[in-house]
Amino acid sequence: MTRVFGDPVDVWVSDGRPVRFVWRGRLHTVRRVLEHWVTTRDWWQERPDGEATGEREFWRVEATPDREVGVYELRYDGASETWLLSRVWD
Amino acid sequence: MGLIVHLHVASGYSLRYGAASPAALAGRAAALGMETLALTDRDGLYGAVRHVRACRDAGLGAALGADLRLGPEGGDRVVVLAEGRAGWRSLCRLVTAAHAAGERGHPFVTREVIADHAEGLVVLLGPASDVGRAVAARRPDLAARRLAAWRAAAETVIEIVDHHDRGDGHRAARMLALAREAGVAAVLGNAVRYLEAADHPVAQVLDAARRLAPLDRRHLDDRTGQSYLKSPPEMRRVAEGVAGPGAGGLLDATRRLSERCVLDPADLGMDGVHLPAVEGDPHAGLVARCADGLARRGLEGSRAAADRLATELGVIARKGLAAYFLTVADAAALIRERGIRCAIRGSGAGSLVNHLLGIGDLDPLRHDLLMERFLADSREGLPDIDLDVESARRLEAYEALFARFGADGTACVSMMETYRARSALRDVGAALGLPPHEIDVVAKAFPQIRASQIGAALEELPELRQSGLATARLEVLFRIAERLDGLPRHIAMHPCGVLLSDATLRDRTPVETSAVGFPMSQFDKDDVEAMGLLKLDVIGVRMQSAMAHAVAEAARASGAEIDLEAVPRDDPATFELIRTSRTLGCFQIESPGQRELIGRLQPRDLGDLVIDISLFRPGPVNSDMVSPFLAARAGTREPEYPHPDLEPVLRESLGVVVFHEQVLRIFDVMTGCGLSKAEAARRNLNHEQGQAVVGAWFRERALARGYDGPSVERVWRTLTAFGAFGFCKAHAASFALPTYQSAWLKRHHTAAFYAGVLTHDPGMYPKRVILDDARHFGVPILPLDVNRSAAAWHAEPVSRGGPSGIRVALSEVRGISDAEVGRIVEGRPYASLTDFWRRARVSRPVAERLVLAGGFDALYRDPPVPRRDLLCRVGALHRTGRADRAVPEGQLPLGSPEGLDLAEDVPLGELPPMTAAEIVEAELDVLGMDVSRHVLTFYDGLLGDLGVVRAGALPGRPDRSEVLVAGVKVATQTPAVRSGQRVIFATLDDGSGPVDLTFFESVQERCAATVFGSWLLVARGRLRRAGERAFSITATACWDLAALHEVWRRDGLDEVRAVMARPGPVARPVGRRIVQPTGFAMSRYSDIGPAGPAVRRPPPARLWHASRGSSG
Repeated sequence: MTRVFGDPVDVWVSDGRPVRFVWRGRLHTVRRVLEHWVTTRDWWQERPDGEATGEREFWRVEATPDREVGVYELRYDGASETWLLSRVWD
Repeated sequence: MGLIVHLHVASGYSLRYGAASPAALAGRAAALGMETLALTDRDGLYGAVRHVRACRDAGLGAALGADLRLGPEGGDRVVVLAEGRAGWRSLCRLVTAAHAAGERGHPFVTREVIADHAEGLVVLLGPASDVGRAVAARRPDLAARRLAAWRAAAETVIEIVDHHDRGDGHRAARMLALAREAGVAAVLGNAVRYLEAADHPVAQVLDAARRLAPLDRRHLDDRTGQSYLKSPPEMRRVAEGVAGPGAGGLLDATRRLSERCVLDPADLGMDGVHLPAVEGDPHAGLVARCADGLARRGLEGSRAAADRLATELGVIARKGLAAYFLTVADAAALIRERGIRCAIRGSGAGSLVNHLLGIGDLDPLRHDLLMERFLADSREGLPDIDLDVESARRLEAYEALFARFGADGTACVSMMETYRARSALRDVGAALGLPPHEIDVVAKAFPQIRASQIGAALEELPELRQSGLATARLEVLFRIAERLDGLPRHIAMHPCGVLLSDATLRDRTPVETSAVGFPMSQFDKDDVEAMGLLKLDVIGVRMQSAMAHAVAEAARASGAEIDLEAVPRDDPATFELIRTSRTLGCFQIESPGQRELIGRLQPRDLGDLVIDISLFRPGPVNSDMVSPFLAARAGTREPEYPHPDLEPVLRESLGVVVFHEQVLRIFDVMTGCGLSKAEAARRNLNHEQGQAVVGAWFRERALARGYDGPSVERVWRTLTAFGAFGFCKAHAASFALPTYQSAWLKRHHTAAFYAGVLTHDPGMYPKRVILDDARHFGVPILPLDVNRSAAAWHAEPVSRGGPSGIRVALSEVRGISDAEVGRIVEGRPYASLTDFWRRARVSRPVAERLVLAGGFDALYRDPPVPRRDLLCRVGALHRTGRADRAVPEGQLPLGSPEGLDLAEDVPLGELPPMTAAEIVEAELDVLGMDVSRHVLTFYDGLLGDLGVVRAGALPGRPDRSEVLVAGVKVATQTPAVRSGQRVIFATLDDGSGPVDLTFFESVQERCAATVFGSWLLVARGRLRRAGERAFSITATACWDLAALHEVWRRDGLDEVRAVMARPGPVARPVGRRIVQPTGFAMSRYSDIGPAGPAVRRPPPARLWHASRGSSG
């Protein structure tokens, strides 16, 4: 089943892709990138005084904290330079 | 190691799609360490030549192809790449075929058409292809079938692209799997549209502009910002993402294909000159034709002519250009055979060969013109011969050339219109969803500057500072519009270039159809030169048409037979007219600056006109050559020569360097280098680096020949001050002739002259100014009349055998079609409005406009029927006509044809007649000009109260006195001036003549917005005399006349005075200066179209009419 989160995570990136991340105190190792997509921001809708919606990068990966493999969706927000764990399938 | 090539790249020449120039793409590719770059623009090869040259400059291999739409419907596309000479030939012909298949602007190919041109082509099937679509739709069976069909048609490879949109990666992997299963090579591409990721908003705006839709995720091709020129490591990551361990193989295959597709410039035909075929030995033919020419021109015995001819033929032989001259002679003869006025212009007039072949009529020896400016061993490429023809018959001239040289061997040259400030603001504004009216206001607030200057102009120009546009809300509009700067947006036919070649032309240039139906090369004038193609410039000159019309009208109205070429060129009456500066409508000498110069120079002969035309240029003005010349001419100063040896060279211009030809001779006298070398040196004066090289060479040679140091320095200063500006004397001489001829017509056949000028509109002023000028020259203006007005303006005797007036033309009526004009003229005479309605069959709005502009007044003079009544009758006729059409076919409508009037009873004489003010308003609206009286007369009350001085009374005022003037704005210019300021010149017309105003930067903070934004102006300034009759006004303040009039009417004169007494804002300088290599400063805003709406037609009445019923 799918669970939706919005937890901040720490992610290690190597050669342009995520290789490890820490979620809820546990280190997850990325085994495989299933899908990677990006979106540009809707700059034409931004108010001059409003908050910029950053470019976003999504990585759907197979990762594992131990032996059990799960599918995780990581989201990188270009404006705030932060990573979130957006979804988990297990 | 990553990918060292991009095979699928769109530049800005993919209109409203690509966002980078070929040069920028090549520069970036080289900086990223790539070895080869392809350019595969959408639906055309517009950027091909620039790409090849950019790659050569950047040290890259160049590949070429095209990204072509597949089928007339839908968005499927394939890329084709050319391999070798055969591939380039196939590519040119395929692109031509694509444009021939679709409607103009909607080219497409089919698999069959590609199969027909398959030699040397490789087809790339990417995600946008029919195969890619089938893969995306999870139809592997369909994809495999389509792929097989492509392989049967042409060499085919699969192109893998992953732009990281959702699902892109999976689709790319399936494409790769398909290629493997089918045994087809797969290559990696990135479907590049811009240089770097940060440029993606530009591509998104172009996506919206192309679709005429507002920006929204649904309307965007580019949702991920990944279509940039990715670096080798980035491309390797894409390959790994799609192919995993197969990434290396994918990259290798890509590299192998790119190596095959690198083109040599010679493959394109850039290595040689491709002239039309000429029968027999061209050079022997040319020598024989020139010998005939010597006899025909009566130059057989002339030693000078024989020597000059030998020199010119020598250069032509060494350059192998005999076929070129024979072809151009052929072309000029073809045009003249059709009875089209045709004159040579430019440096070509300096060549005796051109004269002997009948290309040009000026004898270069008699006018002391040099051939080296045109043709010299030191000049590279083909010489340029320009022919001036009547503008109205230019296309007829083209048709003659196409008929003679064949549709396969002839094509027009194209030109790319690029985004500038106004067009960029319009497209970005629409993409951002701004209301059309607001977009229009914003765009017109800007002068015609480059898009990249938008931000600077908002800060620097007073008319924009006061516009209130620089708000946060519009910030994104200005920011993005700036980034469209210089991108191509529209392909158009070059106004004059025609390619003449042989039947292989279509192997070397792609051709599409221009808007008027001529085959047109996708290459522009620079491209065709690089491609070694012969371009003949056939330039449509409106004044030539105006003069042809004037000559015909003089013959029609008064039976005068005029041969303009045979008119004596020293007519005192003509020069007397020119010296009065009343030269509106004349070629070259009607602008405010020229009228002032003419007033100071007081020309006495054709030679003076040659000098006048040459002096009125930014160069001479910048280097202050005008004042010393005028002083020497007026005798208040002795002519000064930089060295006595140069006196023969500079005597004709009293010591001032005016002509290119004089620069050549100065180099030759001082260094003994010969005229060919001198011409090379002159061309090098254009730029700073060249100037340094030439300077060192010049000093060394001149000193070695014994000239003293101070003299050498003095001469060098003169040469650099003159810079590369100045004028080619041959060119000025070929301009002086029509200048004189037009003035001669104005003096001796005045009505016919105005008929010509009003019909062909050759000048800078709105027609209403020319009309007013005609009034001042005593030419009666005959109103619009459906029984007398013709398609064009006519000269018409007012009484039998009496002087001629001019009759307003039907084509001046707003919105009237050529067909309607034709039917009106065909059906004359008309007995009544009803008769006219029935037989002329014009649209209702056109009939109403004809009524409003007085076209039926003559028919309803006795008893008079007011125009308003006639207008009601048009409505009734229109309704009756509709009722008639409801009658079933075959059944006659009830009532007699004349009975149409009875269909609705319109009582006559119940509506009030139009006032004089309403009539003028209607004339301005319908015809764009005030025919019955001058529009300013309605403001006479206020102008009298204020003590405004009329233009006609200004010569009586003392110099330096302060005056108030008023009038209709008829021109604004911001030419380059010596001080480097942005100076605004505005011309007002007050019904008694033109008033020329000068606004310096010190007053622009308070005046610029009004000058550019208003149609009717009042200005205060100081009178400045510039000569016998020449004067202008240095303005200190100005106001909108309509606004003042409203205050006057409402609150009285004292309030008007109070408004005018208000102090203006503090002055600020208008922008930075550009400093030229010659040391003279120039405003960044000089010589550009001004802000505000165009002044050629009056604005809608609501924008100027103070109030109804205020007529004087």
